[in-house]
Amino acid sequence: MNSLTAEDFKERSPLYAKHKGACLAPLAETVAVERFSETDEHSQLARCALVDLTNLARVGFRGTDSAEFLLSKGYHLPETPNHATLQDDGSMVARLSQTEYLLLGSLRDAGTRVSDLEAHWQLSEQANYLLPRQDSHAWLLLTGEHCAAVMAKLCGVDLRDGNFTQGAVAQTSAARINVIVINTHTTALPSFHILCDRASVSYFWDAVLDAMLEFGGKPAGIQALLD
Amino acid sequence: MSSSNRLPAPMGLLIDRDQALSFQFDGQSFSALGGDSIASALIANGRWLMSRSFKYHRPRGPLTLAGQDANTLVQLPSEPNVLADVTSVEAGMQVSAQNVSGSLDNDRDAYLGKFSKFMPVGFYYRSFYKPKGMWKVWEPIIRKKAGLGVLDLKFQPEYYDKQFLFVDLAVVGAGPAGLQAALTAANAGAKVLLVEEQSILGGSLTYARFDAEGVRADNLRQELIAAVEGHCNIQTLKRATCNAWFTDNYLPVIQGKRLYKVRAKQCLVASGSFDQPVIFRNNDLPGVMLTSAAQRLMKLYAVKPGKRAVVLTGNDDGYLAALDLHEQGVEVAALVDMRAQPADPQLLTLLQTCGITCHLSTTVFEALHEKGMRHVSGVDLRKITGQGQVASDSLTLGCDLLCMSGGYMPVYQLLCQAGGKLAYDDQLAEFTLSGLPEILRVSGSANGCHALDNVLADATNCALDIIAALGLNSDLGRAKVKPEAQVNFPWPIFAHPKGKDFVDFDEDLQVRDIINATKIGYRDVQLVKRFSTVGMGPSQGRHSALPTARLVAQSTQRNISETGVTTARPPFVAEKLAHVAGRGFDPYRQTPMHGRHLAAGAKMMPAGVWQRPAFYGNDTDREQCMQAEALNVHNKVGLIDVSTLGGLDVRGPDAAEFLNRIYTFAFLKQPVGRSRYALMTNEHGVVIDDGVCARFADNHFYVTATTSGVDRIYQQMLKWNAQWRLNVDVTNVTAALAAVNLAGPLSRKVLQKLCTDVDLSPEGFPYLGVRTGTVAGIPARLMRVGFVGELGFEIHVPARYGEYLWDVLMEAGEVEGIRPFGVETQRLLRLEKGHVIISQDTDGMTTPGEIDMTWAISRTKPFFVGKRSVEILEQQPQKRKLVGFTLEKGSRQPLEGHLVLDGSDISGNVSSCEYSETLGQIIGLAYAGANQGIPGSHLPIRVEGGEMVHATVVELPFFDPANQRQEL
Amino acid sequence: MKIMNCPLNGPRNISEFTYGGELKAMPDSATCSDIEWADYVFNSDNAAGVVTEWWMHTPSSYWFLAERHTVTDQIIRTFDPKEVFNQRVDFHANSTALKGVTA
Repeated sequence: MNSLTAEDFKERSPLYAKHKGACLAPLAETVAVERFSETDEHSQLARCALVDLTNLARVGFRGTDSAEFLLSKGYHLPETPNHATLQDDGSMVARLSQTEYLLLGSLRDAGTRVSDLEAHWQLSEQANYLLPRQDSHAWLLLTGEHCAAVMAKLCGVDLRDGNFTQGAVAQTSAARINVIVINTHTTALPSFHILCDRASVSYFWDAVLDAMLEFGGKPAGIQALLD
Repeated sequence: MSSSNRLPAPMGLLIDRDQALSFQFDGQSFSALGGDSIASALIANGRWLMSRSFKYHRPRGPLTLAGQDANTLVQLPSEPNVLADVTSVEAGMQVSAQNVSGSLDNDRDAYLGKFSKFMPVGFYYRSFYKPKGMWKVWEPIIRKKAGLGVLDLKFQPEYYDKQFLFVDLAVVGAGPAGLQAALTAANAGAKVLLVEEQSILGGSLTYARFDAEGVRADNLRQELIAAVEGHCNIQTLKRATCNAWFTDNYLPVIQGKRLYKVRAKQCLVASGSFDQPVIFRNNDLPGVMLTSAAQRLMKLYAVKPGKRAVVLTGNDDGYLAALDLHEQGVEVAALVDMRAQPADPQLLTLLQTCGITCHLSTTVFEALHEKGMRHVSGVDLRKITGQGQVASDSLTLGCDLLCMSGGYMPVYQLLCQAGGKLAYDDQLAEFTLSGLPEILRVSGSANGCHALDNVLADATNCALDIIAALGLNSDLGRAKVKPEAQVNFPWPIFAHPKGKDFVDFDEDLQVRDIINATKIGYRDVQLVKRFSTVGMGPSQGRHSALPTARLVAQSTQRNISETGVTTARPPFVAEKLAHVAGRGFDPYRQTPMHGRHLAAGAKMMPAGVWQRPAFYGNDTDREQCMQAEALNVHNKVGLIDVSTLGGLDVRGPDAAEFLNRIYTFAFLKQPVGRSRYALMTNEHGVVIDDGVCARFADNHFYVTATTSGVDRIYQQMLKWNAQWRLNVDVTNVTAALAAVNLAGPLSRKVLQKLCTDVDLSPEGFPYLGVRTGTVAGIPARLMRVGFVGELGFEIHVPARYGEYLWDVLMEAGEVEGIRPFGVETQRLLRLEKGHVIISQDTDGMTTPGEIDMTWAISRTKPFFVGKRSVEILEQQPQKRKLVGFTLEKGSRQPLEGHLVLDGSDISGNVSSCEYSETLGQIIGLAYAGANQGIPGSHLPIRVEGGEMVHATVVELPFFDPANQRQEL
Repeated sequence: MKIMNCPLNGPRNISEFTYGGELKAMPDSATCSDIEWADYVFNSDNAAGVVTEWWMHTPSSYWFLAERHTVTDQIIRTFDPKEVFNQRVDFHANSTALKGVTA
């Protein structure tokens, strides 16, 4: 399909060995799966799909000065904890506690706005501590009409529409590991961002795919998300 | 198939007459129709005998036809204890009987019934334990006779799973009450889950007759089902069992191979009630069944239950059932009413017009049978003269079906699990429930409403309460529940002088067994249960709890409210371990370099939830691989993945102050660019963790922690600071940082090839120094450490670069002879240096003094966690000490945990022990008595098989005591 | 399974929480007697009634306090520890002083 391989890059997703046979596309300093098959993956996304976004930029900040710092960088912040706000450029800010924020990069700029923020941050007198979320956490996107039903096989929090609304954040346990689930409101496509322990993602990826099986779920690439 | 046994439509709600199939029962072929249960198909073929009773091997046939008795337990090839009355028959199914000796029809153990007189209640407890030691003789014989069914040991695990289900209202039971309530609540906007055990909705509406005309039930059923099944707010689970009630309406519902973990804001139990048997002699014969069972046979399966029936009843429902039988062509030889007259006197006239004789104030005193007891052949009727008393005049009638209806027992199991209290109403001879939590309600016959109008009214009212509790609205007004006729006969128990009047069919318990238990002194119903085993069989007291309560009350001169019934614990019906296990989530963690370890042939081992390389090579070559890897570290350079090591970033103005309170050492004046050993005690003064504390800036420390301890320690740090409120941030960066230890005399040379922005010289980067820089262009934290006793650099990088870092180091070190080493090798290397591993060389009692760590305690600071306890402990004499020992090469090698002796007393145990090729001897660490620690003295260790070895106590470390190698 | 209301994350299954022991005031470790210290370290009241306990929502590592009735297991209230611990605690050589908590 193409000649790119994950091992050509310094930054590697812990899942790359599970992406065998997929077509890769460059993403900032690294790569992501463009698509898993020759066929168009839009309908797969709409039905039930799992996308590995681990190589897309994300970062966290915590501290009493973090809100001010992020506002100064032009981010819109959620007013209460456990809510997420979509930014104009497609990135997202989730508020995890009174003083903690999680920034998820956008595929539209290959995450560069967020990765720049991480690269330029320096420890100072400010109570604004960087949290290395890109390295501590893996990032999956679960899409499709069966999102909530898939999660109900893994997680004890009611993530159905109406109860878990767009922009809602749940810090909870799924398949017995800690996860952050964010109901994205980027598109009409029902989808959850799921962040989990990076070291456990190999286990978690398989557990989610297994739960997706009865809904015809499959892994998908980022291509269909970009169109 | 003897088609004459099948009734015409509309009988047979469940069957598909166009789908004929055949199956095997006990080696014989039988025909069936689609939708048949195994039991209904067998009865359609005239086959009633399905099992033998547990104790006396008496012949048994279906009792309830609703999966509520043990009489229909059969064996499938890969599954024992299958309920034939609720399991659908499948084409080619191989069904066999269980608990028989020889064959079901001619069970060699049937003689046991003749000995029942000699096997009184508590027989096993009392007979086989004397004289002492006798149990050993009896046990194998009894084991062979006991137990039901056979396990298929070649069984292949199947895919079972679990799923949460979130609803506003869960309704358990889809009878008239459940349907009505579900519909009412759903109409008001509630999301409703309806759970039904049977394969069709309707409950009693599918088989029972509620009035003389006999058409209303079916009309109402169709009307309710049409409304429920099309309702967008109602989700229905059929053939599903709510198997328990747990706190806050957490309901395990089993359907097929899935366990639904239902979480309901409100729960309504409309589980109905169990038809109760009447107790008389031979009430367990095949052909004697609950009235509702005969009705189920006809209405659900279109099976004619007999040619000539006698209906024994204590309520009007028996009259209605007699009409059903009559209409379906069963001759009703007699309606026997235990009461003086029916509640509705018109029923007498109605039956008379059908030519059915009614015997009032009469009971069946004994069911009669032909030789072999295969089926009921008649009844001995007697006038009732008092409670449980009958006249001596008898009337004998022939019949092949005896229906009995002694009353109803609410299906109270879930409700009692929720804390509901049962009280017996002597007037109604019925149990009532109270004391339920606010989010749980009961309705329908489980709530004592039996007349159909009352059931619907009660369900509507209940739904209105639920709607209000959910914050929804409904226009409906409350319905009125009218007084209704009594349904329970107060004493449907007629003990027979010759016994065989069964209270509990599962356990073959007769009236006298219960009475005798109370006479022996077991007055409490719970003790009666345990002594007699009443209610402990598969049907869990569904039919025996009420008569047992009545008998115990009578025998102990108390009322039934006082005696109560036995506790009904979850699960409601038998559940498989596979349901409980589900898919079995078993998380594991892998480092970024995991794939490289596998490629290098690592033997992986678990370290907590992490997967780590033990060593590289074959399982069988452990010793060889370890020694080679260790020598390579000593002589050249090795690389170990230490990403699993716990890592915490502690940042902020109070970072030093915070660490000063958490760890025993002093950190306030620790220079930037240096690391310091960090030991942690808990409030008891016990050593719980250790690590290295690196200061990268005034307000930034990076502390390592043990792999298994870091999560707990991180949580404890947060808990402490929730109280101290220091200006500090603690972040667990364990998974965020990949790390390696590049160790060995050539390590500096290898690192110099990749790291140009840090002065790596001994002067520029001395032992215990820490630096930040880049390795192969990757941002890295570098730490000079000495854990394995050689010049070494720990390199910590963001996890995303972990695998790349491994690759470039392996490549850069190729010329120097780099090779990876595993955790087992690392443990050997650190043992040579005498370094303890917390939780391997320490236990839940280890104090700093016992492991020679008092040097790591600051005496000048005002506080650290455990300080006061450590001080108190230090005032007391030390009882044990961790010492190093050696044994000559070739000696019996002690294992971890082997005991250290002091004379005949145990003074300690071995905590680590390995053979060291480098030193040419066995080395180890062991706890020993405080007096046993003098270097040169002998340490007696009891090894495998009780053999003693005598190790020599030595000074630590074993290797390079001057630390010349690591401080290069 | 029981539900507990986390002050940060809302109502969750009790399996998402870690128990952190009863809230008890630490005596001044510099001045208290050995017996007082041992009592603090080893003994619990185990009262039948409403007790205040430490609980942590495990996925978010958030510690909070809960008032729970040990007889009925009813959770009466959960709240942020700032309600009790509202000022910085410092230790001094001769006295641990200034605990933000009242016994």
